[in-house]
Amino acid sequence: MLVTSGRQLFYSVFAILALALVASAIAWYMGPASQRILVVFFVSLIAVVAQGVYCGNSGIMSFGHLSFMAIGAYAASLLTVPAMMKAATLPKLPHWLASTETGLLPAILVALVVVALVAIVTGIVVGKLQGEAATIATLGLLIIVHGVLIGWRDVTRGSGSFFGVPRETTLWVAMAGCVIALIVARLYRDSVSGLKLRASRENAIAAAAVGVNIKRERLVSWVISAVLMGLSGALMAHFLGAFSPKNFYFVDTFQLLAMLIVGGMTTVTGAISGAVVITIVTEILRHLESGFSLGFVEVPQVFGTTQIGIALLILFAMFRKADGLTGLKEWEERFIKPHRKAAATTSLQAAEPDGILLAKGMTMRFGGLVAVNNVDFKLMPGEIVGLIGPNGSGKTTLLNMLSGVLKPSEGSFRIADTLLDGVSSHKVAEHGIARTFQNIRLFNHLTVFQNVLVAALSTRDGEDAEGRAQTALERMGMSKFAEMDAGTLSYGDQRRVEIARALACQPSLLFLDEPAAGMNREETDALMEMLRGLTRDLGIGILLVDHDLKLINQLCDRIAVLNEGTLIAQGTPAEIRKNPAVVEAYLGASSDHEDAQRTD
Amino acid sequence: MEILLQQTVNAIALGGTYALLALGLAVVFSIMGLINFAHGELMTIAGYVLMYCGLAGVPFAIAAALAVGAAMLAAVLMEIIAFRPVRNASGATMLVTSFAVSMVLQVLFQNLIAARSQPVLLPQLLSDSVSIFGLVIGINKIAAIIATIVMLAFLDWFMRKQKHGIAMRAAASDFAVARLMGIRANTVISAAFALSGLLAGVAAVLWVSQRASVDPLMGFSPVLKAFIAAILGGLGSLRGAVAGGFVLGFIEIYLAAFLPASMQEFREPIGLAIVVFVMLFRPNGLIPAASLKAEKV
Repeated sequence: MLVTSGRQLFYSVFAILALALVASAIAWYMGPASQRILVVFFVSLIAVVAQGVYCGNSGIMSFGHLSFMAIGAYAASLLTVPAMMKAATLPKLPHWLASTETGLLPAILVALVVVALVAIVTGIVVGKLQGEAATIATLGLLIIVHGVLIGWRDVTRGSGSFFGVPRETTLWVAMAGCVIALIVARLYRDSVSGLKLRASRENAIAAAAVGVNIKRERLVSWVISAVLMGLSGALMAHFLGAFSPKNFYFVDTFQLLAMLIVGGMTTVTGAISGAVVITIVTEILRHLESGFSLGFVEVPQVFGTTQIGIALLILFAMFRKADGLTGLKEWEERFIKPHRKAAATTSLQAAEPDGILLAKGMTMRFGGLVAVNNVDFKLMPGEIVGLIGPNGSGKTTLLNMLSGVLKPSEGSFRIADTLLDGVSSHKVAEHGIARTFQNIRLFNHLTVFQNVLVAALSTRDGEDAEGRAQTALERMGMSKFAEMDAGTLSYGDQRRVEIARALACQPSLLFLDEPAAGMNREETDALMEMLRGLTRDLGIGILLVDHDLKLINQLCDRIAVLNEGTLIAQGTPAEIRKNPAVVEAYLGASSDHEDAQRTD
Repeated sequence: MEILLQQTVNAIALGGTYALLALGLAVVFSIMGLINFAHGELMTIAGYVLMYCGLAGVPFAIAAALAVGAAMLAAVLMEIIAFRPVRNASGATMLVTSFAVSMVLQVLFQNLIAARSQPVLLPQLLSDSVSIFGLVIGINKIAAIIATIVMLAFLDWFMRKQKHGIAMRAAASDFAVARLMGIRANTVISAAFALSGLLAGVAAVLWVSQRASVDPLMGFSPVLKAFIAAILGGLGSLRGAVAGGFVLGFIEIYLAAFLPASMQEFREPIGLAIVVFVMLFRPNGLIPAASLKAEKV
């Protein structure tokens, strides 16, 4: 399912087709040399967008993608090499493989299945690691596959050249493959999975909190990206006719990364422009490599001119344009106005009106520090409960435990009859708990609408997601900013978008961590009115953490007070105001009753 | 039994070198989140200094000191020239930058020095061996083990007692707060790079004294192993880096010694597969970095 304006996609696909056809026609006209350059360009471009599908959308760099290219190349070639040839060059091949001889298309299809299987296994392993560790794991993958290719002589001819592959990748075959890869990559970017993955790239914790299963989306993109990579490898093999494991190792990884990074790895536009720039630079430097004359000085032959040139280009890109030449947006996202039909507004009524949250003995220890100590807590849909306490008293930590972001050291909590101990953040969201964050955590480079849409898509099985997203935005008065990037909004508006995003999950309970921070009096009053509306109209229960005691006193049905990790009081605002323990925690032991009143 | 002991000595020597390299990577990573691909080129630089000193007839002890000093200087310069402009960028940006730096240096070595492997003159003593309890052990192996122990002891002291070491630990735990406490960002990062250069330099001397040659790619493959060691141990954790380095050294040497001949070709993939298998059960590494849990929400 796609989640973007069809109009933008139409222009994008049209441009891809047109560019590919025009380039092919020009190369066809110019002769074999140009055709060869273009075939290599097409095949490389497949690899670049393929890697972009994973790296760009997930934000995790990979050094291991060439292994999938290698697997694609070897697997497809083992099927297409004529049986006679195989008997001579690979005498120890298993009989069923030795006698098989297929055309290019079936060979590619089989190879892609093989690649997909390998990708599923490796993707699960890599998915267990976080950030940079995942990157290094992909490096390990590259080394492992390279080692297996060299060691498995009976099938791969070891480090020697694997030759005799029929040269069936013509200009038109390469073009067709490239167009398919570009379109798949472009559609994936704006698919449900792609959007969720991009949200997790922008902010993993927030994405999980609105219900995104990050591991699953990473695996999906890993497999798609690997399959496209395999396609590139198979086509490359049938263009070159002969290759060896070193074709799929560091030097080529470097070239590929250069294309990906210089253009901008998050978009198809970036992949194309990066591939064009690097291909042109490489062609120019290759001519200079063997030495040339400037008329008055002879420049001698310099090894690795292309490598240095590309490395400098990468450094330049990293220093000046870390997001790549084309930035973070597709060209059509910049120039074509999105066309979005207004979805019917729906009710964001609390999905589970009986979802009472009950927490018992919640405790969190960080090393020797007990941040939250044996706290019992209850929150019902339809009520507003304030959670107050001095800085460092454990309010946010309690919120983090109740939303599954932190795993409590001890204690358990349930919503209705479901025990939520040890349940990961994205599943807690499924059970009707949504939240905002003390330090705003929006998906800064996604539009406001996409921010909210991700939440709607990831909860309640994504049912009527567009409608819920639009309704949530309208409720918070943010519809007018729908197509702007969330990161460009003012502070107060960002807070409102965050609440809208939480509402789109259609929660029965909503945790707000300092929603009024940085808002002036009028804005705070408006916020208060809005929050009352949520409980009144939708039956949502709200847990509100804030330091604005006026807001808390006027809004809350009940107030809970934390001090040094311990729950020291609970009750109506009037009771809390008179509670001596609270007065002491806030104002010190010597303060008298009147001081406490003054803070109201 | 004798073979086992013999191979254990080899494993400690190799694992120690990996540990020093992984430690150098970890020191930098823990502070600025950069995985330095060009760490291997620091090693290569130290190797070439040894080579030139050998040609010039400089005594080995002085040559080794010069080599280590050159690696430290190169590390500090590398940070100032290449990594300072991307200091606050994402991990991926810094990683790619260091990858490019590594490529540039490799090509420079190829063109300015030599594309082929060059012999390094070593003192005769290093290629001698002694017999201890019936085991024949090369002096170079013993030197490597002693040097590793000395370096680890030094580093432990430095990090716990020395001002810059404590500053580094503070910066690793929370850079922003460390700066508010008056620790200068440039100083602590330069010191971290100098320290990683020191470790790479020592590792290079040990590496070269086993092999007596240096080539433009000399540092590349041991540092790849050090990457693996660093994540096996727990990325950003110093103790983890040491543990990961030794574990990897043991895996490699034992596989080389005890894997049947028909499987030897798959030694490297099998070794890495074992690492992966361990990681499945300890995804944050053998000794995870403390800062992993501390992310502010």
